[in-house]
Amino acid sequence: MIDLAGAATAVEPDRRSARAVRWERLLPKVYLVFLAVTLIWIAVFPQLAELYFVSLALVVLLAIVLGASWNMLSGYTGYISFGHAGFFGIGSYIGALLIIHNLAVWWLAAIVAGIGTAAVAVPIGALTLRLRGPYFAITMFGLAELARIVASSWDSLTGGGAGLYLPFLEDPTSNFYAMGILAVVAVASAYLIASSGLGLKLLSIREDEVAGQTLGINTTRYKLGAFVLSAFFPGVAGAIYARQIGYIDPISVFGVIWSIRAVATTMFGGSGTILGPILGGITLTLVAEWAWAQNPFAYQVVFGGLIVLVLLFMPGGIMRLLETREWIPRTRRL
Amino acid sequence: MTLAQVVVSGLLLGGVYALFAAGLNLIVGVMRVVNLAHGELMMLGAYITFWLFTLAHVNPLLSIPASALLMFMLGMAVERAVVERVVKQPLLSSLLLTFGLSTLFIGVALNAWGGNERSIPFLSGSLPLGPLLISQVRLVAFLIAVLLTGATFLFLRYSTFGKTIRATSQQPEAAQACGIDVTRVRVVTFGIGSALAAVAGSLVSVMFTFNPEIGQSFLPRAFAVIVLGGLGSFVGALLGALVVGVAETVVGYFTTGQWAESVAFIVLIVMLLIRPSGLFGSDE
Repeated sequence: MIDLAGAATAVEPDRRSARAVRWERLLPKVYLVFLAVTLIWIAVFPQLAELYFVSLALVVLLAIVLGASWNMLSGYTGYISFGHAGFFGIGSYIGALLIIHNLAVWWLAAIVAGIGTAAVAVPIGALTLRLRGPYFAITMFGLAELARIVASSWDSLTGGGAGLYLPFLEDPTSNFYAMGILAVVAVASAYLIASSGLGLKLLSIREDEVAGQTLGINTTRYKLGAFVLSAFFPGVAGAIYARQIGYIDPISVFGVIWSIRAVATTMFGGSGTILGPILGGITLTLVAEWAWAQNPFAYQVVFGGLIVLVLLFMPGGIMRLLETREWIPRTRRL
Repeated sequence: MTLAQVVVSGLLLGGVYALFAAGLNLIVGVMRVVNLAHGELMMLGAYITFWLFTLAHVNPLLSIPASALLMFMLGMAVERAVVERVVKQPLLSSLLLTFGLSTLFIGVALNAWGGNERSIPFLSGSLPLGPLLISQVRLVAFLIAVLLTGATFLFLRYSTFGKTIRATSQQPEAAQACGIDVTRVRVVTFGIGSALAAVAGSLVSVMFTFNPEIGQSFLPRAFAVIVLGGLGSFVGALLGALVVGVAETVVGYFTTGQWAESVAFIVLIVMLLIRPSGLFGSDE
């Protein structure tokens, strides 16, 4: 069979080379500037903005963390997980319990929550990553639901369905800083992975796992690494979120909506890209906030509708759209 | 309640699971699309019966044909307009697409009808059978579900259109080369699967209270049933459904409803881990 698609991509590097290669060289500097601007914005924003906007920006940052971390596994390796809510919920509970029982300062509790979640992810990943395609997706969904059931049944530890109350917090600024740093670390790790050989190895899993193995790539090890890392970030984010909201119960933190947000954010921005989750996180959170103001149920329609529309008319998300319009050059590292 | 009573109750419930899973089984087998919106097709069926009963006092059993027909048409429309576009793309596209459809349907239902629990008071009595008491509504639901599952099986096995569906399922290219309009087969298959889900929904609406999110708890059960019975095997799926139904009610009898809910997940996860390529039978 003549591989027309393969021939087309083989020609592509030459056609785009001049401008794109220059861009690729420039990119690290662009990112450094972007990083500096972001850090300054995170430092200054809570001092200038009203509390409502600080809380809203915190949710944007949370969406970016969820998207970027989901992207690390699913965007790069193609193992689509519907279980991100499970990691978010586990992190929320670890963080909340550490804070309530005065076992750690809140920021340490958040880090421990991330490490704890990642530790839980190791055996889960070792088992589930043997499954492919829909089996992996459905099993991850099932495990997240199972985690919710455990959380609501384990009364003595989690308070069951009654949930847990955290100390009341008037000022969200400290949470905003924490979530900001977490988002920066998540995106930076994604960038470092994508621009290293590791990123190529993960992409090889998405494109053709068996071929990757044939070339001597230990795909099991790499995808497990990506899986555990992608569980760490929602774990930390869950703990910060619990502190911000002040009350958690199994339905609020293990709800499927967190998986939906992670998937929708990444797909809308562009899965398998660095900037995608950022663009998706900003736009979708603002749209969701608007939808929420219209009607508490509307946001689910918005998210579901967007996933469908993006798949049908905009596969590749905003990033692909920008590339085909040639507003940004095609590079692997974006 | 004695244990025997619990087992019978679980068997009757399993019949409805079998019907629900049969539609999904058909769609996955013929289209290679894992329909994550299948639970929402069931939910819509439940609401059709509910509204016909509440607004027009239609007997829930008589609303079943209406529920099936409406969802047959909606299913065909959804397939033609949306799912058909991703059928030939990698499995993950259809997985994400139907995930989006599921979220969308739940959102629309929440907007239109609210999130409160609904129920239909219907046939609440029980029949004595020896030492056991059989819930009338569960018995009727079981009989309808098993009859319909059997009818679908016979339709696929012996009717001409059933044969074209199976041909498309086994070898889409060869089927096309033989002059079968595979797009039409896919559209009708999705319609039939939706209708089966809708009837299951109508039956569930008289057995349990429900809200727009009910499909989310039924979908994993259908996957567990299919994984247990094997894809494409109607007899295997029927047995799998009875096993899941009994296991759930027995676990619920000894513990809390929470753990009963987890039975399907545990069956699913354990089966997939023991037989990773179980569903399709081959390493796909």
